[in-house]
Amino acid sequence: MLKQVFESDFGESYIKCEHESGLKIYILEKPLYNSAYAIFGTKYGSIDNCFSVNGEKVEVPEGIAHFLEHKLFESEDGDAFTRYAETGAYANAFTSFDKTCYLFSCSSRFYDNLEILLDFVQSPYFTAATVEKEQGIIGQEIRMYDDSPGWRVMFNMLLGMYKNHPVRIDIAGTTDSIAEITDELLYKCYNTFYNPQNMFLCIAGNVNTEKILKMVENGIKPKEKFDLCRIMPTEPDEVSQPEIVQALEVATPMFCFGYKENADSMPTVKERICTAVLLEMIAGDASPLYKSLTEQGLINDEFSFEYFNGPGYSTVIFEGESSNPKKVADEIKAEINRLKEEGLNKKLFTAIRSGLYGNAIRGFNNIENIAMGLVDCAMNDTDLFDDVKYLKAITVDDVYKRLARLDDDKTVLSVIVPKEK
Amino acid sequence: MSGKIVSIAHGVEGLFIENNRFNTTSISYNFYLPLREETVAENALLPFILTASSKKYPDFSALNLKLNKLYGARLDASAEKYGDCQLLSMRISVINDRFTFDSDSLVKAASDMLLGLIFEPNTENGAFMENDVEREKRKAIEHIKGEIAEKRVYAKNRLISEMYKGEAYGIQKCGTVGQVEAITGESLYRAWVNMLSSAFVRVQVIGESLPPKFFEAVAEKFENLSRKDITDCRSCKPTAPAKKVKTVFEKMDVKQGKLVMGFSSEMYGDDDVSLPLMVMCDIFGGAPYSRLFTNVREKMSLCYYCAASTVRYKGLLTVDSGVEWQNADKAVNEILNQLEIMQKGEFTDFEFESSIKSICDTLKGNYDSQNGIDLWYALKINNRQLYSPEDIIEKVKAITREDVIYAARGVKLHTIYKLLPKEGPIC
Repeated sequence: MLKQVFESDFGESYIKCEHESGLKIYILEKPLYNSAYAIFGTKYGSIDNCFSVNGEKVEVPEGIAHFLEHKLFESEDGDAFTRYAETGAYANAFTSFDKTCYLFSCSSRFYDNLEILLDFVQSPYFTAATVEKEQGIIGQEIRMYDDSPGWRVMFNMLLGMYKNHPVRIDIAGTTDSIAEITDELLYKCYNTFYNPQNMFLCIAGNVNTEKILKMVENGIKPKEKFDLCRIMPTEPDEVSQPEIVQALEVATPMFCFGYKENADSMPTVKERICTAVLLEMIAGDASPLYKSLTEQGLINDEFSFEYFNGPGYSTVIFEGESSNPKKVADEIKAEINRLKEEGLNKKLFTAIRSGLYGNAIRGFNNIENIAMGLVDCAMNDTDLFDDVKYLKAITVDDVYKRLARLDDDKTVLSVIVPKEK
Repeated sequence: MSGKIVSIAHGVEGLFIENNRFNTTSISYNFYLPLREETVAENALLPFILTASSKKYPDFSALNLKLNKLYGARLDASAEKYGDCQLLSMRISVINDRFTFDSDSLVKAASDMLLGLIFEPNTENGAFMENDVEREKRKAIEHIKGEIAEKRVYAKNRLISEMYKGEAYGIQKCGTVGQVEAITGESLYRAWVNMLSSAFVRVQVIGESLPPKFFEAVAEKFENLSRKDITDCRSCKPTAPAKKVKTVFEKMDVKQGKLVMGFSSEMYGDDDVSLPLMVMCDIFGGAPYSRLFTNVREKMSLCYYCAASTVRYKGLLTVDSGVEWQNADKAVNEILNQLEIMQKGEFTDFEFESSIKSICDTLKGNYDSQNGIDLWYALKINNRQLYSPEDIIEKVKAITREDVIYAARGVKLHTIYKLLPKEGPIC
């Protein structure tokens, strides 16, 4: 395997290589640490409900990627949790919009754990009986999220924002859609997306790179490569519904306010970093808007923002709790328009750039954070040290240019209001 | 990794943990006060108002700008329950000087900043400023009311209030809405003076090196205070068994019900006596190999989560689960059945050994988290030996099956709390 080494100027380095099967491998060693964190994942998430394999189109029920994640832990002779119980590792998995990841963290027996991880993810075992059992468990998971205002407020915003793109659908699907899942469909999805050419292995912590590569060399089952194509419906530029309100058991209304953006291509590293700086300048805790909203009693410590993007979707989101979400949204719009007109404050820009630089350095304290960063590198073909590098280079003009993409006419305000007593 | 306690002033301890694996240095001030109805709300507000402004930074925006300039120095505040005490923490962490190009020391600047925030707040004539007080009160009230949004947390807190009615541990950690509303700039000022004069204090630094003359600077601040009636953090009333099991239910417009069961434990106290309870709880419902996960979730398919946790020093064990109301009784019966299995010692050697391995693995991982180490030692105040995670690993390895069975036999059902959907029956 050909190894590529990436080095930073602050003492960290990692390697990237590609196995002959197409599996991408990223490893960052932390010899002073006690533990290690490993993620074995696939570029397959809740948005992948329609795809083609060698030209043949396939449609599958909503929530199947998440369902598959639950089922993969089982094999004919027991489950992966039982195997991890023997080593003492912490194991888990998650499904997001565009990926499914299986992970463990441990402070001892790393290589035994890695063997378990590589083995169970490559050994599917689905039967009608085990599928039925899982429908009960996932049905309860879906109902738990139905009662969660923090979850609903976000998904309602996506529903309001996207007319066709599958990002508008809950990751776990619905009770009805998961009822359509069968063992055959699970095998179909597994054989399509769990091909090493579509997968990655990301590891950070107290490990030995050479030893891992040797294990991977022998531990990955090569599969026939094929043409996989995601089929995404055409998404208009406009939002579907600019305001969306639901009543749930909350005390203070919760809101999620987003700007829909063009998502024809994935953001470049520079765009991503400019957006991070820009959002801090608009609404970070040192910004004039944050001060004004707090002093008016409109936001509290729950207020936050994020740049949320993936294949075919891109949005900038502001969320929190407020007695008057409409006013918060109006003030955010007004502030963005003011900045467009008046330009950005250079002193604030310099301070925020330093702050984000420090945060990037701080991020290397945590091996879970590093492993997740490596997953992003595998998903987007980027470099883990990009943030630190580009933060030094970007200018206030670069950030100002990013403002133009926030369009007043493409916003959605989702609000969860208290139920009437 | 181990540190030595330094005595700074009467009831004020310093602890430096040298650890060179992190890119940051963390400094925390931990104040321990008795948990009382009449003081809980003011005390809980203190860490938040103190870290929002000060004499030097009267405006929170200016303070946040300064934190950015200090390369994203992170200021955190919290107010938690620690047994029958209230633990107020203020903490700053900052990247180490070698990562910046500035000539001044970042660690020194951050350490000075936190000292200034705690000891020189923005006050006038014996009161905190009205604007600051009203802002923090509003946020605290929204936080208390907002708890209802997270049903799992809400249900668990409701169980604790019911189980410990009239006792210190039953007090809500940030007080009630009414108690927060009653706070004034003057009452908050008095709480601040009381915190500085009577709290037991632990100041902790975790990083590559201790900033020069760090503890001396802290000592200087405490020098002029009259320190008396220092909180005895050891006083923690164990959970008494219930004379009769109490069942409480509440109806809400939700789809999924929540079931929380509270148990008293005859085994309680610090690490020298209560570790078998931790292992018992882990086998019972702490992990995917546990009895509750494998039976209530996997075999019976009743829920997405069914987990046990314990507060050892209080002698409390809880089980919580999200279930359909029709299945709540079934779940209760199975949870009690699994407890009985634990008490009869019918858990397997595999479960026992898995638990010991998993706990030791997690304990070893504590060293890799700066926050984790800080919290670990902030909760090690009753024990003069200051056990490290490694010390506890040795103790856990020595625990036998019989110790676990003994711990399980002392676990008695105390209270059941059910959050039911409106359409469910009254039960």
